Amino acid sequence: MSTVLQDAPAWSPQRHVAPQALLFALCLALPPLAIAAAASGAVSIPLSRVAGLLAGVPAGDDQAALWRNVLLEVRLPRIAFALVVGAGLALAGAAMQALFRNPLADPGLIGVSLGGALGAIAAIVLGATALGVIAPAAMVGSLAATALAYRLGSRQAGVAPLLLAGVAINAICAAAIGYFSFRANDTQLRNLTFWNLGSLAGARWDLLAWLSPWVAVLGTLLLRDWRAMNALLLGEREALSLGFALSRLRRRLIVWCALLVGPLVAVTGTIGFVGLVVPHLVRLPTGADHRWLLPNTLLGGAIVLLLADWLARIVALPAELPIGIVTGLAGGPFLLWLLARRGST
Amino acid sequence: MTCAERSRSRRLPRLLGAALLLAAAAPALAQRVVTLGGAITEIVYALGAGDQLVGTDASSQYPAATAALPKVGYYRDFSIEGVASLRPELVLASDQAGPPNALAQLRQLVPRVVVLPAAPTLEALLQRIDGVAAALGRPVEGTELAARIQDEVKRVARAPAGRRVLFVSSRGGRLEAAGSETAADHMLRLAGASNVMAGERGYKPISGESAAALRPDVIVTTTMSVAARGGLDAFVAQPGIAVTPAGRAKRIVVMDDLLLLGFGPRLPEALRQLQAGITAAP
Amino acid sequence: MKEDGALLSVRELQCRRGGREVLAGVGFDLRAGEVLGVLGANGSGKSTLLATVAGELPLGGGRVALAGRHLAEWKVEALARRRALLPQSPSLSFDLDVRTVVGMGAYPFPALSPAELDTLVRRALTLADAQLLLDRRYLALSGGEQQRVQFARVLVQALSARGVAEDRLLLLDEPTSSLDPRHQLLLLGTVATLARDEGLAALVVLHDVNLAAQGCDRLLLLAGGSAVALGTPAEVLTPASLQRVYGVAARVFPHPLRAGLPLVLFGAA
Repeated sequence: MSTVLQDAPAWSPQRHVAPQALLFALCLALPPLAIAAAASGAVSIPLSRVAGLLAGVPAGDDQAALWRNVLLEVRLPRIAFALVVGAGLALAGAAMQALFRNPLADPGLIGVSLGGALGAIAAIVLGATALGVIAPAAMVGSLAATALAYRLGSRQAGVAPLLLAGVAINAICAAAIGYFSFRANDTQLRNLTFWNLGSLAGARWDLLAWLSPWVAVLGTLLLRDWRAMNALLLGEREALSLGFALSRLRRRLIVWCALLVGPLVAVTGTIGFVGLVVPHLVRLPTGADHRWLLPNTLLGGAIVLLLADWLARIVALPAELPIGIVTGLAGGPFLLWLLARRGST
Repeated sequence: MTCAERSRSRRLPRLLGAALLLAAAAPALAQRVVTLGGAITEIVYALGAGDQLVGTDASSQYPAATAALPKVGYYRDFSIEGVASLRPELVLASDQAGPPNALAQLRQLVPRVVVLPAAPTLEALLQRIDGVAAALGRPVEGTELAARIQDEVKRVARAPAGRRVLFVSSRGGRLEAAGSETAADHMLRLAGASNVMAGERGYKPISGESAAALRPDVIVTTTMSVAARGGLDAFVAQPGIAVTPAGRAKRIVVMDDLLLLGFGPRLPEALRQLQAGITAAP
Repeated sequence: MKEDGALLSVRELQCRRGGREVLAGVGFDLRAGEVLGVLGANGSGKSTLLATVAGELPLGGGRVALAGRHLAEWKVEALARRRALLPQSPSLSFDLDVRTVVGMGAYPFPALSPAELDTLVRRALTLADAQLLLDRRYLALSGGEQQRVQFARVLVQALSARGVAEDRLLLLDEPTSSLDPRHQLLLLGTVATLARDEGLAALVVLHDVNLAAQGCDRLLLLAGGSAVALGTPAEVLTPASLQRVYGVAARVFPHPLRAGLPLVLFGAA
């Protein structure tokens, strides 16, 4: 029996790119894009000097010293952040879309993002100021919300109950966040608001030191399950008959996605649409085979967030746009277009 | 020694002296400054150093000259690289500038970052003036400004006792009232008014019922809040406002946000306006 | 449990769904090399029987044994390596290649080499008369073509990495519903051939009585969750049993082209 949320085919007759070719192209494109992004920003640094500056500067050259500091302390951590966060969010989105067999699925749907936000906000309002406290609080929040949504939503077969539970959990989280906002003092409230718009400005090497391996490990776990995700696309009965224990599989995918997205939300705030849009951008030209979709989505997400952050950094000089605005402005219309297409097929 | 040689030897020490004086004054004159925080920007202008500013933040709206300056974002979320790209020698920042860690990163990129207290009190304002003056190398102007402000504040008449005042602002479509520990509350206290909302801490959403129960005689608000509602009439017509004695008698005091809440050098003027508005006959 | 070589043994199978008793005491044996057709009206429990035997639904009562072991003792992964299930109306709506879809039949066998898999995929597609679809996209196919591709996938699962004397169970739920007559006959013919040559045991739910009679060695007739008859087509296809199963008058004639095969016509004279 097909899922209640049976979607119209998300395919286009124009598909014509081999997924292996896309993977190759993305691998090739990433380094130059990262370097170009590293070379541009509010402080003008000539592209040709970038490599040299990283090696070192002659003493007394204040201009070069400034450039080097900007690169090492501000830009490079930020770019690395964009790559890691973008990859993580996109991969989680692809996994959720396979799990729900619904191309509109997103980690936010089952409570991961808002649960994480609630955890962080509760910590902030209750007095925490150190990220070392706020980040784990966010992770606890996202896991708790996801676990609750899963327990409520998996009592019955199918994905519709799970999605409904996710909607309910999100509503509860939003209300709780509202309560904490009410209790927040002025300073805390301003921090909450900024943090909710999403920003990569907090990028630091010491954050990356634990975030990168974390994303790498969880990413690997998700990548390895590409067969299970393909089987889920066939249908739950088919997946079961091919030897995938559904409840175990669902639990596994949900936990990994929650563990992956929770810390990301904690350090960057909620950045929307990456998990929703990137898998689509990959699926449309190359198809839904997760063997290639997952690595392509990983790289695609890294590049998309890199570009979004680049735009955020240079479009309103010398100020910066919150990155959530860039992804929203790009992702929102895309989502509308997607819905319009589905309605007509 | 010839006559010419004698006059030359007298000229040299004078030249040297002048050069030394210039050298001492040079840092203050040549410094490029970026400010993060509206009140701090105002102080810089009040000290006569406005032409040293090469950039400021979005909350710095006064004086009019700030409109021409590049903006690096709102001070609570400013762009680090944006500030660095302006090549300032000195950054004067409110201690509320953020995001967290941004000031630490900024210190790596800019020769000098001076952090000033942001508290909305008279004492903190005096500290801000002192701090800015010291950083800019204008201690004399700083002392003068601080003394003038203290003097003027003392001379502002107090509002008539017994006037019940409420401060509201429209925040994100929601009407909120200022309790204790807010900038608005401090202003009202300085003006000698009694804040009917003082029992609460911070900003709290207010409904028609609570507003009516508080029975304020005067309502103070900001120009941004009125504009957000679409004009004074629309503002007064709000359920929370209309039922109060203040709303019925149209005793609404509207002041510019930065002027009223900024706790900058225009504090005496703000207090005068506030007091006049509260005291005004219905 | 005595199995005397039967790959699948079902005894007094009961199953409840939604508070209703859907199966009330069905029993049969299925051996390798045999094709057993399941016939019945809508709601008679055919699909439930298949789902229960496949291990999807819990038994309400009775026993099911696969290769001598109780179904409940089989782990999901092991079950997938021993039996293949083709559910009714497959519902794939994501953009996958035919090659990928068919290749999924080998997921329970990750040790298969890419070369072996490729050979098997081609063979399965040929058996399903879909070899020309190898490089196509699944969503671009017609309903019938998609059904044949799914059938090929199930064949891959049933034929992958077969150890010596390891018989596999094939469960097909209305595999011919979207197929034209030629492909209907082809499919059942393929099932029969594979049963005979590869030692598969096949349980096939069918709607068309005559097709079932032609393609299956034995038939199980269900009505109201119970077995009405079990035996060769000639034995079980009688007007009385057909009336019981389908609630409509039926006439049975000797098949004009095949000796020993009955031909059923529904409707009163």
